[in-house]
Amino acid sequence: MSAAASSPAPSSATPAADGRPVRVGAFTLLRVLWRSFFFLAATNYERMQNVGFAYAMLPALRRLYRGRALDAAVQRHLAFFNSHPYMAGALLGAAVRIEEDIAAGRRAPLEVEAFKRCMMGPFAAVGDSFFWASLRPFGAAWAVAGVLSGVWWAPVAFLLLYNLFHLAVRGYGLFAGYRSAERIIERLERLELVRLADRLHVVVGVFIGASGALLADRAMRSTARLGDGLEPFLLLSLTLIFVLCIKREMAMPPLLYGFSAACIALMVGLNALFPLMG
Amino acid sequence: MEPETVALDLALIAACGGLVGLDRRGAFQVMISQPLVAVPLLGMALGDLETGLWLGAILQLLWMSSMLFGANTPPNETLSSMVAGGMVLLYGEHIAKADVGVWTLAILLAVPLGPLGRRIDERLERINLGLSQRALAAAAEGRIEVLDRLPWVGLARVFSIHAALAALGSGVGLLVIAALHPVLDGALLAAVVTVGTYVLPALGLAVTVSLVRRRRSILLGLITFVAVIVMLDHGGVG
Repeated sequence: MSAAASSPAPSSATPAADGRPVRVGAFTLLRVLWRSFFFLAATNYERMQNVGFAYAMLPALRRLYRGRALDAAVQRHLAFFNSHPYMAGALLGAAVRIEEDIAAGRRAPLEVEAFKRCMMGPFAAVGDSFFWASLRPFGAAWAVAGVLSGVWWAPVAFLLLYNLFHLAVRGYGLFAGYRSAERIIERLERLELVRLADRLHVVVGVFIGASGALLADRAMRSTARLGDGLEPFLLLSLTLIFVLCIKREMAMPPLLYGFSAACIALMVGLNALFPLMG
Repeated sequence: MEPETVALDLALIAACGGLVGLDRRGAFQVMISQPLVAVPLLGMALGDLETGLWLGAILQLLWMSSMLFGANTPPNETLSSMVAGGMVLLYGEHIAKADVGVWTLAILLAVPLGPLGRRIDERLERINLGLSQRALAAAAEGRIEVLDRLPWVGLARVFSIHAALAALGSGVGLLVIAALHPVLDGALLAAVVTVGTYVLPALGLAVTVSLVRRRRSILLGLITFVAVIVMLDHGGVG
């Protein structure tokens, strides 16, 4: 970290015409929000999303600083950063507010770095748990069941449902973060995303069950039908075997190739032994 | 097969592949990169939405557990799905109607692109280290405007690699399936169709079940499975 980054920078901030410290304003916050959509564009091994974070912060930093103070502010935001892309909106909003305070001389520059360091982990955990591990499987499982039952617009509905939450959390997070700074964590808790994620998990099973039944029905009407209504039992049995294998940390590709090879060998062998069955 | 129309379709696959690749790893993350959306999108571009929808649903189940947790790099489900979709749709348009055997071969051929795509994503993260170093150097030298361009360099890389691999994989895969499918005799083809009818869906369902954290949900799933089967048997649904 540079020396400029660790020292208070009130004199180098851009003052308003009446001498009061500058506020970034809603338009600048909207520009930050737009840039947050490119958060993962330059993800790298060493500092992860640092370029994306600094890029998103740039419109606000340009409002607050000029010259060397701007360089130092940008350097502050090029430190290691890794969080969930949707939840980063809240962290960006809070960081903008803290930068306003730094520019006004009310805080030390180190505070924004400490804030980001402390918060990126918990925010990532909430985002991963809610969006990646709950809302996405919930929406996708519903949409798969929809497609299998002939609802052609199910993927569109999935996109709408998912992005309703995604865009709301991104947008609300940015403005709530800007209003509350460090207290954004309290606001986030009020959204109860973790509890909602838990509830979504309960419902996912219904869609998986429906999808399984629709796939079994499709098998009953296919050229590979077994007859006597055995198809649902075969599909269910295979699913249970696969679940047990996955629980034992086996990855999908080896399972796919192993079982496919076994299935093909079994069928070809049976056909050779009992040609009439083929 | 007319080379001009195949080339045009490959260009469409490249454009769609690049676009959904960007969504996955570069910009927006609005989930058009999910197989369930990406493959129908490709189907729409190539004039066969129905095949895209069905194939997208199966691929979504298979790749449901592929997600960007923390700093981990998961298999690239988008690339694998786009290539599988590209193969099936090209086959349907230029050779013959794509049956379950063609779908199954396409998925079996394209699945390794998931782990390969992960390697490519990791490689991109290493290459992007240069962007981070350029940003740090620019900030130290007072050339902040450089930072405005750097994410676009990253996006261009993601787009071009996904576009190239989607088109290349689909084209090569089409040739492999076109050569393989006619030589499969009755028993072998029936076996491949059986894999597509039972093994692929069951594995997809199992992958999705393994994501569920609540046991009550699995019980609900079993009850729903039986209930829908009974309803379908009595002609109540579908």
